[in-house]
Amino acid sequence: MRPENYQAQSHPPSNEYELFIGPNHPGIEGNYAFKLKLHGDVVLAGKADGGYLHRGFEKLMEGRLWIQNIALVPRICVPDPVPMEVTYSMAVEDLCGLEVPERAQWLRVLQLELSRIAAHLFTFGGHAATTGMYTTSYWGIADRDLILDLFEALTGGRVYHIFNIPGGTRRDVPPGFLEQVSQTLDYLESRLPDYDNLLFTNQVFITRAKDVGAMTQEQALEWGVTGPNLRATGLAFDVRRDDPYLVYEQLEFDVPTEAAGDAWARAMVRRAELKQSFRILRQVIERLPSIGGPVRAPIPNPLAWNVPAGETYARVESSKGELAYYAVSNGGDKPYRVHVRGPSSMHAVQVLEWLAEGARLEDVAQIMFSLDACPPEVDR
Amino acid sequence: MTERELDTHLVTILRELESLEYRQTSPRRVRIDVTREALPGLLELLKGRASYVHLSAISCVDWIEDNEFELVYHLWSYESNHLVSAHTRIPRETARYISVYDLYKPAAFFERDIFEMFGVYFEGSPHMEKFILTEWDGPPPMRKDFDAEAYVQETFNWQSYHPDWLKELEEEGGGVAIRPEEVRR
Repeated sequence: MRPENYQAQSHPPSNEYELFIGPNHPGIEGNYAFKLKLHGDVVLAGKADGGYLHRGFEKLMEGRLWIQNIALVPRICVPDPVPMEVTYSMAVEDLCGLEVPERAQWLRVLQLELSRIAAHLFTFGGHAATTGMYTTSYWGIADRDLILDLFEALTGGRVYHIFNIPGGTRRDVPPGFLEQVSQTLDYLESRLPDYDNLLFTNQVFITRAKDVGAMTQEQALEWGVTGPNLRATGLAFDVRRDDPYLVYEQLEFDVPTEAAGDAWARAMVRRAELKQSFRILRQVIERLPSIGGPVRAPIPNPLAWNVPAGETYARVESSKGELAYYAVSNGGDKPYRVHVRGPSSMHAVQVLEWLAEGARLEDVAQIMFSLDACPPEVDR
Repeated sequence: MTERELDTHLVTILRELESLEYRQTSPRRVRIDVTREALPGLLELLKGRASYVHLSAISCVDWIEDNEFELVYHLWSYESNHLVSAHTRIPRETARYISVYDLYKPAAFFERDIFEMFGVYFEGSPHMEKFILTEWDGPPPMRKDFDAEAYVQETFNWQSYHPDWLKELEEEGGGVAIRPEEVRR
C-alpha cells in the first residue's frame, strides 16, 4: 500500500540517509514530525514538519463571540492551558478597559502557578523518558495528576478549565480548597529529593544531558528563544518580573538561571522554577483569605458584547516561555483578528532545526523535549 | 505618560525619523505607525541603536474594506523593558513585502506563517513555502474573503454521509437529531 501521492525518487549513491521521526514519537508533547538527514548517527540537517494538529484556531475565533472563544483557547496548549485563558482574557479586558478585581487577579496567579507546576512535572517526565529513564515519567505524570485533581475541585475540569473569563474568574474557590493546595504543595515539595535522587543528581542523566543541544546566550537572543530555555543560557529575564501583569509585582520570587545552555541546564532551570512556583503559591495561600471583594467585574451581556475597536498585545510568561495574544477588534461582537504567539513557535521550529544540526540521533528526542515545545502552539 | 519615562535612545531615534507617528499606549507599550518604505530602516535602528533585539512576533491583519494588509512587528528590549509595536500597511492586491530575516532570525517563521495564511510574499525570506497547510491548494485561509463555514458546507456533503451504523440507529428510531440544514443560526 502506497499513499496516493507517492512518487518514487532515485538518488545518487550516498552515505547519507533520511529518517523521518514522527508525527508520533517520544520527543514532543503532540503530533509533530521531524525529518532528519543523517550520516551514520550524526544529524546533518533537520527539518521540522508541522501541521498535524492544525485546527485553525485563529480563523475559528473570528467566527465566534468574544466570550465563546474562552472555550477554544485552552486547547492551543494542552499541557499548560491556564496561561492561554488568562492571556486571552487580559487582551479582551485591555480592549474594553475592564478593571479585574484584585481577588480575581490572585485567583489567576494561583491557577497560573499550579499550571506551571503541572507542565514542568510533565516535562521532567518526558525529558527523562527520552534518555531512557521511564520511572521519572511515571512519577511526573502521577504527581501532575494531583494538580489536575486540584483543578477539578476548583473548576470542574481537569485539563480544560474554562474558568477565567474577561472580567475575572467564573467562581470563587470552594471551601477548604486552599488547605487542599497547601497539602499538595507539601507533598510535592517532599517529593523533590526523590526526583533529585532519581533524575537530577543521577550520573546517567547528567552524562546524557550535559553538552547536548547547547546554545550560547547570543544564539538564544538571536533565535528568539524565551522562557526557561533562555534562562538556561544565563539571562535572567522573566515576563512576570520584567513586564509584570496581575499581582506578580506584589509577590516575591527569584528568576533562576543556569549558564551552560544545554539540555541539562534547561532541566535544572525548570527544577528551580518549580521551587519558585511553590514559593509564590504559599504567598497566595497566605494572602488570598485577606483579600475580599468580587471575583468578577460586571460585564455587558456576553451574547451581545461589542468590544470597542482597538488592538492590544497581551503577554505572559507561560511554563514554556513568552506567550502573547495580539487581539484586534473592529467594534463588533466577534474578534476581528486574534494572533497567538506561542513560545514554541520558535522552539519547535527554527531553534530545534539549528540545535539538531551536528547532534547524534540518540539525542534528537532529548533536544526536542528539553526545549519543552508544544506543537499546538505552532499549528494554531 | 511623558516621554521621559520612555528610554532616551528610543525617543532620539523616533525623533530623527520622518514619516512616522508614535504614542505610548501604556507604561511599557509604544505604538509606532510607519510607512512601508520606512519600516525596515526603523527596525534596523531599533535593533542596532536602541537594544530592541527580540522580535516577539509579526502579526498580520486583513483590512479588506481598506484593501490593505496591516503588518505589526512586536519588538521587545531586554534593557529598557519596553514593547514597541511597529504598524505598517501594504496594498492587498500586490501582497508583497520585504523580509526582515537579515535583522531578526525569528522573522522567518512568522513570515512563512503569514505567507501561508494570508498569501503575503516576503522577498528575501528563506522559507517561502508550505509548512502547516501542505495539502491545501485553496486560497490563503486567513483572508477575510475566505469563508471557512461556506467552504465546509460546499466541500463536505453531510447529507450523503449515511454509514451502516447510522442506518442501524435509524431503524431503531434514532439518528441525527438536528440535520445540518435545520441548525438554528
